[in-house]
Amino acid sequence: MQICPVRQTILFLEDQIGPGGLPDPRGQRISEQIMTLAEEIAEGAAGQTHLTAIESLVEEYEADQSPEPTRAFGKKIKQMITDHKEVFVSHIQSRNCPTSDCSKLAPSPCQMACPAGIDVPTYLALIAEGKDAQAIEVIRRDNPLPWVCGLICTRPCEMMCVRARIDTPISIKFLKAFAAERAMSDRAYVNPEPKPANGKKVCVVGAGPGGLSCAYYLALMGYKVKIIEALPVPGGMIMVGIPRYRLPREVIDREVAMIEALGVEICYNTRFGKDITKAALEEQGYDAFFLAMGAHKGWSLGIAGEDEFSRAIDAVTFLKDVALGEHHAPGTHVVVVGGGNVAIDAARTSLRLGAEKVTIAYRRSREQLPADIEEVEQAEEEGIEFDFLTIPKAIVGQKDQITGLSCIKAELKKKKGSDRLAPVPLEGSDFNIRADAVIAAIGQYVDDDGFEAFDRVSWSRRGTVEVNHASMETKEPGVFAAGDAVSGPATVIEAIGGGKRAADAIDRHLRGMPQPRMPRVPVRHHTEPVMEMSASQKMTLKAPKMPMLAMDRRRTMFQQVELGYDEKSVRKEASRCLRCDICRRCGECVEICRDKMGINALRLGYMSFDKQKPTDFRATAENCITCGACAANCENHALVMDEKDGQRRLLLCGTLLNSQAIQYCEGCGAKLGSVEYTRFIDKKTQDVAQANAGRLLCHECQRKLGARAGQPKGPISLV
Amino acid sequence: MSQYYLFQDTRKCIGCKSCEVACKANKNLTRGPKPCQIVEVGPKLIGEVPKRSYIFMPCFHCENPWCVSACPTGAMQKRSKDGVVFIDKDLCVGCKTCVSACPWGAPQWDPETGKVTKCDYCMDRIDKGLDPACVTSCTTACLKFGKVEEMTQIRRQRHAESVASFESASF
Repeated sequence: MQICPVRQTILFLEDQIGPGGLPDPRGQRISEQIMTLAEEIAEGAAGQTHLTAIESLVEEYEADQSPEPTRAFGKKIKQMITDHKEVFVSHIQSRNCPTSDCSKLAPSPCQMACPAGIDVPTYLALIAEGKDAQAIEVIRRDNPLPWVCGLICTRPCEMMCVRARIDTPISIKFLKAFAAERAMSDRAYVNPEPKPANGKKVCVVGAGPGGLSCAYYLALMGYKVKIIEALPVPGGMIMVGIPRYRLPREVIDREVAMIEALGVEICYNTRFGKDITKAALEEQGYDAFFLAMGAHKGWSLGIAGEDEFSRAIDAVTFLKDVALGEHHAPGTHVVVVGGGNVAIDAARTSLRLGAEKVTIAYRRSREQLPADIEEVEQAEEEGIEFDFLTIPKAIVGQKDQITGLSCIKAELKKKKGSDRLAPVPLEGSDFNIRADAVIAAIGQYVDDDGFEAFDRVSWSRRGTVEVNHASMETKEPGVFAAGDAVSGPATVIEAIGGGKRAADAIDRHLRGMPQPRMPRVPVRHHTEPVMEMSASQKMTLKAPKMPMLAMDRRRTMFQQVELGYDEKSVRKEASRCLRCDICRRCGECVEICRDKMGINALRLGYMSFDKQKPTDFRATAENCITCGACAANCENHALVMDEKDGQRRLLLCGTLLNSQAIQYCEGCGAKLGSVEYTRFIDKKTQDVAQANAGRLLCHECQRKLGARAGQPKGPISLV
Repeated sequence: MSQYYLFQDTRKCIGCKSCEVACKANKNLTRGPKPCQIVEVGPKLIGEVPKRSYIFMPCFHCENPWCVSACPTGAMQKRSKDGVVFIDKDLCVGCKTCVSACPWGAPQWDPETGKVTKCDYCMDRIDKGLDPACVTSCTTACLKFGKVEEMTQIRRQRHAESVASFESASF
């Protein structure tokens, strides 16, 4: 396995320092100096000049008077640093080591999982403390739409949440929405101060999450940004794809207004390539283009009857029309074909518009449904029906009136070269579903109409724009792309992450700086202090249940379904976080306590990823002797031993694992171990004669006592 | 006891503490830990004169060391070939049980490394045939190091000298 180059450099240097290392004192001295600097880089304590300093030290290895081994070693280190310069720079700038080899810098799993790399533990800690505006500030360093994401994100962070190994993941998503709403209401949701205008102009195509994210970060860097938007509304798919009962329009409007407040201009109802051309924009002085037009074309089913009937529609068009105010039920018996979130959205929207019966027909079975489990559940609660293992064959009817969807049953079979089970039609199992409207929700593709002017941009076989994912550059210099236009239909948070990366790359492009060769790792801005609470409290806090809108309203109106937690629940939920930004779960503490000390007081099974054993913070107090070995060996100071009110306490990221009364030296009053600690030692040394007559003394006093006893008496001494 | 004996001639010791300095320098220690220490006893009036005594307190390298019994990790050990009690830093986890168990206060806590350090008669030096750092640097040569049998000889010699009476000499 490949190890982090910074750590590897340190290991190389360790080998060469001291006996058995480089032969000359000069080589030793250079190695020691580089070692100090490299260790600071690995600890996140380095400044911008560290790498330059290392580079000039490395040159010294190859001085004329150096012996051959030293020169050879110099070449090796030099190669290492040249090959992996990006990694060194990233360690210095982001104070992050994604491989976890440099343990102090490892980001938390939730942050690593987030496509935008948001510093989750930091903002959760801020929310737990009630500092909502500060939390929003932290989120917006990586994501300009925290409110939107707080309501509709697919939350890859929660998938990785370590707390799930104990009970359930932290509701990271909604906590963000709460903080954003509270900050907005308090008028504390503010933009950071943008850099002064630099006079350069960038054109963004598409006001969806990707475009808005890119525009926001560019505007903060001092660029003048114009967004070209074909629709009359901002938000792209989040406005016209996601229905209002999941994401109220005001949320989008308010967050877009924040971006517009930075001077970003959005030209609505303007289709790129038709209403405005690349040439015209170039003439106006736009130096770079960012393509984030999304994937707004729905795939058609490719079955008979699809083109004959006006009520055979695609979900994307349907949802867009509804979002833009066309509030008519598509039919009374609606069949939605597909199994993704779009299918669910189309079905639930049809229901709210008055359809009597809505059925979702999906080719595979329930386990394979790509839609979010919560979405599926909510749809079923509202009365949406699912027809699994159903392949549509033809839309049937007369004149312009659909009467049904002719289908065939499928069975799932393994296919060569694919992990996914494929639906295979069962001969003679034809059946009809009654329908007067059929909505196809089987995927979307990118509409490349109007982008011919970018003749050097290359397109993939799937019809998406090809980019270098580290910098989001297309093959055409000065043209960047992200979002669904690059990935095909994907998530909001991926588009936001892509937009942010592109903004950075556009800035580099316009300033003539080279582009990164590998994707930047998430940035940790700082470490928020931990919150103290008892082991019982940490253990028994439970995720709150999401309050929902009354069912009758859910079946009739577009009001928000998830009503959100109250403030008390939010603060509690945020404090359930295990702070994986501080404790990286190396398990050293458990090993020491169990294997070396033989005490086995730490029951922290969640620390191991593969073999999960039980976790109980409360169990520590049963056996722990507050010896402090675990804390002394905790590299990141996640485990801390402190003294408070006459008690010696052991805390793990603020969770109080144990507290025992301190004993004091009978001689000088110095602090000693607890009764439990003394008992542990007495048991160990019971076979050795008792030396201090049961007196409780510190080692200083023991030594003094010993000296007095050893003081020679009689005629020899002091005369 | 180890095969060695570290003898301090308290009559000669002036409490300059160069032994402490040499010890810490040899072990590369920061503030805090003192594997050997000069403990001042007194002053005490002897006749009309106040006297102070300087007692050298290293580790005694006990026959049955409390620290070795107390250590849960096996870091604290007794070297089989000569009985030197030493600590293997790689095995030490910093539980400090040895510090608390020793009746003489010999094991020392090093806050810098989070581990314990102690007098090991400078094993690295004695294995090369040198004296421990404290002995080598002693300005008054009051510290002497050697095999136990050699040391008892010094005591005998000195005692004999002190009680010698030339007035009633038989020669």
